[in-house]
Amino acid sequence: MADKNYYTVDPEGKLMCMKCRCKLQKGKAKFMYLDNGFPVELPVCPRCGFVYVPEELALGKVLSVEKALEDK
Amino acid sequence: MKIEERRSTHVYRQKRMFTKEELEERESLCVHEQPAYCNAACPLKLDVKALAAALAAGDFDKALALYEKITPFPHILSTGCEAPCESSCKLGQLGEGIAIRELERAALAYGAKPKGASLLRKKQQSAAIFGADLFSLFLAGELVKKRYPVSFYCSQKDGLSLVKDCAPWLSQEAAEATAGLLNELDIAFKWGCEPEAAYWEDREKYALIAAAWDTARTLYPGLETDEAVMVCREQRLITGSTRGVLDSAFGAKRAALSADRLAQHLDPGNTRGEEGSVATRLYTSLEGVKPSKRIPVKDMDSAMAEAARCIQCHCDECIKGCAYLRHYKKFPRILTREIYNNVSIIMGDHMMNKPINACALCGQCSVLCPNGYDMAEVCHIARQNMVSTGKMPLAPHEFALMDMLFSNGEAFLSRKQPGFKKCSYVFFPGCQAAAIAPATVRAAYLDLCRRLDGGVALMLGCCGAIGDWAGRYELYGETVDFLGKELGELGSPEIIAGCPSCKKQLLSQGRESVRGIWEILEELGLPETAELRQRPMALHDACGARGDAKTQESIRRIAAKLGCEIRDTPYSGDQSPCCGYGGLTQYTNREVAREMTESCLERSPLPYLSYCMACRDRFAREGRESLHLLELVYGAAADNCPDISAKRYNRLGLKQQLLKELWGEELKMEDLGFEVEYTPEAEERMDDRMILRSDVIQVLQHLRESGEAVLEEDSGLFVTRERLGNVTFWVKYSETEKGYLVHSAYSHRMTVVNRL
Ligand code: SF4
Ligand code: SF4
Ligand code: SF4
Ligand SMILES: [Zn+2]
Repeated sequence: MADKNYYTVDPEGKLMCMKCRCKLQKGKAKFMYLDNGFPVELPVCPRCGFVYVPEELALGKVLSVEKALEDK
Repeated sequence: MKIEERRSTHVYRQKRMFTKEELEERESLCVHEQPAYCNAACPLKLDVKALAAALAAGDFDKALALYEKITPFPHILSTGCEAPCESSCKLGQLGEGIAIRELERAALAYGAKPKGASLLRKKQQSAAIFGADLFSLFLAGELVKKRYPVSFYCSQKDGLSLVKDCAPWLSQEAAEATAGLLNELDIAFKWGCEPEAAYWEDREKYALIAAAWDTARTLYPGLETDEAVMVCREQRLITGSTRGVLDSAFGAKRAALSADRLAQHLDPGNTRGEEGSVATRLYTSLEGVKPSKRIPVKDMDSAMAEAARCIQCHCDECIKGCAYLRHYKKFPRILTREIYNNVSIIMGDHMMNKPINACALCGQCSVLCPNGYDMAEVCHIARQNMVSTGKMPLAPHEFALMDMLFSNGEAFLSRKQPGFKKCSYVFFPGCQAAAIAPATVRAAYLDLCRRLDGGVALMLGCCGAIGDWAGRYELYGETVDFLGKELGELGSPEIIAGCPSCKKQLLSQGRESVRGIWEILEELGLPETAELRQRPMALHDACGARGDAKTQESIRRIAAKLGCEIRDTPYSGDQSPCCGYGGLTQYTNREVAREMTESCLERSPLPYLSYCMACRDRFAREGRESLHLLELVYGAAADNCPDISAKRYNRLGLKQQLLKELWGEELKMEDLGFEVEYTPEAEERMDDRMILRSDVIQVLQHLRESGEAVLEEDSGLFVTRERLGNVTFWVKYSETEKGYLVHSAYSHRMTVVNRL
């Protein structure tokens, strides 16, 4: 069964992990809040697993989901 | 002390805020929905207030529809009614009450009747009325309205003579109009008969029988009837005596309802609901209302003008004063019910979380409300309840709570005056004073040390109000204990509070002796540093001083000594609104907090003088010239609009400075080993996003240990992150020679993990 992803961000080769000196790739990640999980695809370092959350995502979608959950 | 987000949307716990009875008791205090005085006085339940509103707006058709709802014969009622509504009109307390009958007549004269017949099906049971008087005439109209087939036996020979006999005062025109209405009604008239004889002959033909009072008494001499329901039970005869026009109309209404009960073979006294005039508990302020005289109604314009005099009696004392209630457009009664329900639901959206957390807990409503409705208590109980069931999200209050922990942790200071083994006093300026006006606090402390005998200790910290306001009763309890222990170590001296809210909070904790610094200043007199200012200022009373007349008066005397010409504003003293800081509104709902501040400032164009540092700060942020009383007393200015980081540095800086200056202790500030600079955009964003410089520094320290960062090729900037407590902070930076230049910072509360 295909995974349901709430959100996808493709790094398009424009992000680099400074620790591993390699490009971030679109990878599977999960947001968790108040015991709820949301599968997403975000830029992830293939070596160390650093997950990058862009500013627009944090201030947009992530914030609105947080607020909605806080009032559940 | 630590705060952890422990909430789960999958944990279903619930606890009532209070019992249903208590809910109802609280709700019943609000008289907003009580009927207007005129409406309450009318036994026919005319909505006079709505009628006046319709006429004032020029809607004569609507006014007529309202009037026709209560009577089948408006010409008779509007000219004959004794009008208890008029004598009850609130305006009568000032000048002349509204000429309500004139308005009714204007509705009749200029309003158009809606077309279309009743959609109700005709009833099976037929009714007969024997003999004519005002009561039986009205009853005929009421029974037709209820769709009973009605037969009417009378000695008169036509409608006009019937109307004239029953209502002899009517003008020819009104009598003809009423006869016209009568003819339109679906009534089988038996003209020119002898009602008594007809009764004995025909009564068996009908299910319901009614009679005019004289007819009934001729039929049954000595007859007794139950006037409450207008039925003579023995004879199953609907009748009764009435006194006057209104009583006839009202008697007919009661009788028609009895007809319904009899038709269903029920006792006429059964389930009748509330009838007649009622007592109203409404409160309506006449403040600002000028006495006025009746405007003679001669045409449409004068009718509209007379109707426009009506003040549409209602109570909104609380809403007029409180920006929060205005924001949510809800009266305390409704709000309480919705909050109660919100707290009681287990799953689903908690729509009232925001309003629960947006109230300033300031108590203004309980002073303004004629019945003392206490919305603050309701919201406070709701917060504590949500905390106890794990339903309270941490997000809205976390920043403030962390700030309290900072005040009572890193920035806390408790010391006896140098050279004193025992101190008679301890100065407690409050966390906001130290955050916003460290120089003022320092000057005040030095002055107290110099001029008071017996030694003055110093305690820099938070009184715990923040934890209490957030409903975090455990954390608050720990804070109370902590302060108790620290005060105990100082020998439990008398507390000199710098802030009225601290004073109130500390007193509520059972601390024995707490006075405001203003009281001490009155005893000692002003110091030489006092800046005399001969200028008019608006005084804003702190909500922490509500109910504390001594404090309010003392502040006014000191201000006068300073040369200030104090102009009291509307809503001053006990009625003062909150500046937007109280109850943590500033953190939970910036929009509402802003509206509160604006509403405070609307009261006067003058510079504002206040005696709570939070008020001073919020007014300054709105661009108003704003001063704290102590700034004038000590000639030591507060900072102008310090941002959230500056407010922390100020507290820490004050501690550091005083430790060194007075106790000769050097407070080591940690050497980071690198420098951090911020672009102006970054500073602005951080203040807006509630991200502290200390948060950014911790993230950068982590970066130096882990080397974890991402390079954004588009912007050429690096991005790094670290989870601190319940929040992940991200910092966008470039490298500089000595450290970092921060371009932006953002945060989220969700955690993010890899998934395979
Ligand atoms: S002041 Fe407010 S709470 Fe009190 S009775 Fe009036 S409307 Fe209700
Ligand atoms: S002022 Fe208007 S609403 Fe108030 S009692 Fe008089 S008629 Fe009624
Ligand atoms: S903000 Fe103040 S006046 Fe308004 S409801 Fe809350 S406690 Fe009452
Ligand atoms: Zn990596």
